[in-house]
Amino acid sequence: MTKRVLLHVGTPKTGTSYLQDVLFRNQRMLAGHGIHYPADRFDAHFLAALDLMRLPWGGLEAEAVGAWDRLAASVRRSRGTSIISHEILATASRSQVGRALESLGHGDGAEIHVVLSVRDLVRQIPAEWQENVKHRAVLSYARFLELIQDPARDSRIASWFWGVQEVPDILNRWGVDLPPERIHLVTVPPPGGPPQLLWERFSHAFGLDGLELDLEAERVNPSLGVPETALIRRINLAANTELDPPSYRPLVRELLAHQTLSRRTRSPRLALPPDVHPWAQDVAASWRTEIEKRGYDVIGDLDDLTGPPPLEKWSDPDQPSERQVAGAAVDAIKALLLETARLRQTEERLAGELRETQIALERSYLRPTYRMREKLVRRLQDGRTGQRLLRAYRRLRGRSSRSA
Amino acid sequence: MGPRDQDTPGHRRAWGWVAHLHEGGATPWRDWTSEGEARGRMLPGAQQLELLRRLNSAGSPTPELIERTLTASAPGRGRSDLELLGAVEPLAFGPPPVDPGDLRDDELLRVAAGLLAEDVVAAGLPPAHPPTFVRPWRTRYRLQGDPELADPIREQLVARGRPPGGRGSTVLVLGDRLDRMVVDAWTASCFDEGAAAWGTWLGSRARRRALPHRIDLAHVARTWAGRVGHDRVRIVLDPAAVPRLVGVRRPFTLPGDVPADGVELARRIAAMLGLLVPRDLRRALLRHTVRPRLAAQPGPRLAVSPEHTEWLQRRAVRMGEGIRRAGYPVLGDPDRLLPAPADHDRVVEPSDAGALALAVRLLLGDDGKEWL
Repeated sequence: MTKRVLLHVGTPKTGTSYLQDVLFRNQRMLAGHGIHYPADRFDAHFLAALDLMRLPWGGLEAEAVGAWDRLAASVRRSRGTSIISHEILATASRSQVGRALESLGHGDGAEIHVVLSVRDLVRQIPAEWQENVKHRAVLSYARFLELIQDPARDSRIASWFWGVQEVPDILNRWGVDLPPERIHLVTVPPPGGPPQLLWERFSHAFGLDGLELDLEAERVNPSLGVPETALIRRINLAANTELDPPSYRPLVRELLAHQTLSRRTRSPRLALPPDVHPWAQDVAASWRTEIEKRGYDVIGDLDDLTGPPPLEKWSDPDQPSERQVAGAAVDAIKALLLETARLRQTEERLAGELRETQIALERSYLRPTYRMREKLVRRLQDGRTGQRLLRAYRRLRGRSSRSA
Repeated sequence: MGPRDQDTPGHRRAWGWVAHLHEGGATPWRDWTSEGEARGRMLPGAQQLELLRRLNSAGSPTPELIERTLTASAPGRGRSDLELLGAVEPLAFGPPPVDPGDLRDDELLRVAAGLLAEDVVAAGLPPAHPPTFVRPWRTRYRLQGDPELADPIREQLVARGRPPGGRGSTVLVLGDRLDRMVVDAWTASCFDEGAAAWGTWLGSRARRRALPHRIDLAHVARTWAGRVGHDRVRIVLDPAAVPRLVGVRRPFTLPGDVPADGVELARRIAAMLGLLVPRDLRRALLRHTVRPRLAAQPGPRLAVSPEHTEWLQRRAVRMGEGIRRAGYPVLGDPDRLLPAPADHDRVVEPSDAGALALAVRLLLGDDGKEWL
């Protein structure tokens, strides 16, 4: 049986969280069909990617030490098909790609396939800015657009954006040693299409057709509207220097952005400014020509890369409606109040438990017999004879514990 | 073969330069003309090649270091392995090719810090001291405040069988000139959990007029007074008083200051170590393996720039008043908290160029020292 490795390397904001959630929750069922998704936690492949690319990520990298080698070893041990999926792999350098492929058995019997899910730049550009904002960024949308359009691409923002989004370059790096038929592009359908279409394409790319998978999503990466993103950016400006990354993640990204503000779906959506639209479409057209020339396996339609037309009424997130931002802020305050109330209750309960424990401890310390025993043990521990006596006593008492 | 791996004159020139660097050459790319045979799957990135050229210019890297440099990747965020300008056809996609001579020091430092972090992990920790007998009748203490004073003294006390804590401990809050303590707080972070670059770190605090909690002595004292009682807190502004307060006779040795560029290099190595070893080991490696070698390097020490003197002066006065009002016993002159003009031999900002030069020296072993 040929060993196959399906390596899904990006791109962000193409339904990757949903795919990874389905694969993770259906691990057992997939294994029964010879499909191996080696992950002991939901973000196992994210950690492995951080490790491979030696990428610091607000302290999370501490959990990633050795993660790639463990993942690769698991893939090498398994038979049948293995799937690895994380979107930040898109930004791997040529040498990191070389290391990754070698560690997965490329050139040593494994048949490696690279899968790249792609979405039109018209939607990816605002989505990437929003992701930056949800990761503590404070730069305006206008500045973001200016940086990514700079041909030098030497800013951190631009190098990351193009590293994870420029389809021909990603495939130059990941596909340099692979024949084009082993490179699969999954295109994200345009907005308004059948909701299950993207999943059907993923299912086809990963050989999951016909399997009875639980497709109920538990983890998704929801989007925010214009006033909500503007609010998060203002929060970043105000709180970044005082709020450390381990607190930012659960409070701002999860509680405020994902659980609260993403529910406000009636606000204006983030979109590309009409004047940037032609540039984005020119770039997408050049990608399309290149992809057609290279002869990759396309699952979907390259027309999907064109993207929707410019909005008639575009809403600028750098100058949002203050009324809408205030509405979002009230929702955010309410969520924080409820969370604070919950934490206060927990704190009160824990303080009560601690008080009770302290009283019990004090009581036992104050007993004269305890003090006497404590003094005796301390004296005995100072000398060899005493230590022998203590050991004998503990043996007789029948406990291995060293406590008196 | 990928689209970039073509047998073109530019490509052959690049491989010729790789061979030249491999043999210890230091000619810049823009002056290089000879061609050579391909020696691998793909050309190393411009950052790696330029770093190797700098290593060759400064000394004689070992064959192992040459190989590691060429196959290293620039870790962390930023531009990934770049193509050489003139080696490849103009690219329609990907980052534009560069002349390696035009690369910023920061980009070379990324690669160098990754290599140094690997060296540090390979060196490991110095041999651990055998466990010391813990003296049962020791003076009970806790040391807080300036991390560059409190942490090394605590470590030495532990080594002498006098660990901190225990019932009835007196809390000693150690301090110094506020501007020095600010430098100390950043330095300690660089040798611990990592920190933002000095300018960003200090700038964000200056905007808020906020001090790191550890060196806000009034805040530290207040916190501990709430836990152990007001009468068990002392402010110590005279380090010479510490031995008596903790019940020892022998004075403590404080580790030497690390040059500004050395701290910056440690900050970058810390970021890379975070990806190679667990958090506790990272801290131990930085303190016990990296720090002694960096402290032995020459170079000016860091100072706070004069533009910050005014707000630090105000904060020092407020801190002193807070301590006085609360009535904690103070050992030493309370005016010692006030910032003073920086000594002439200090710098107000580490430099990437200096940190890179230091990294090159350490990689080559030209400082005459080893990690352990």
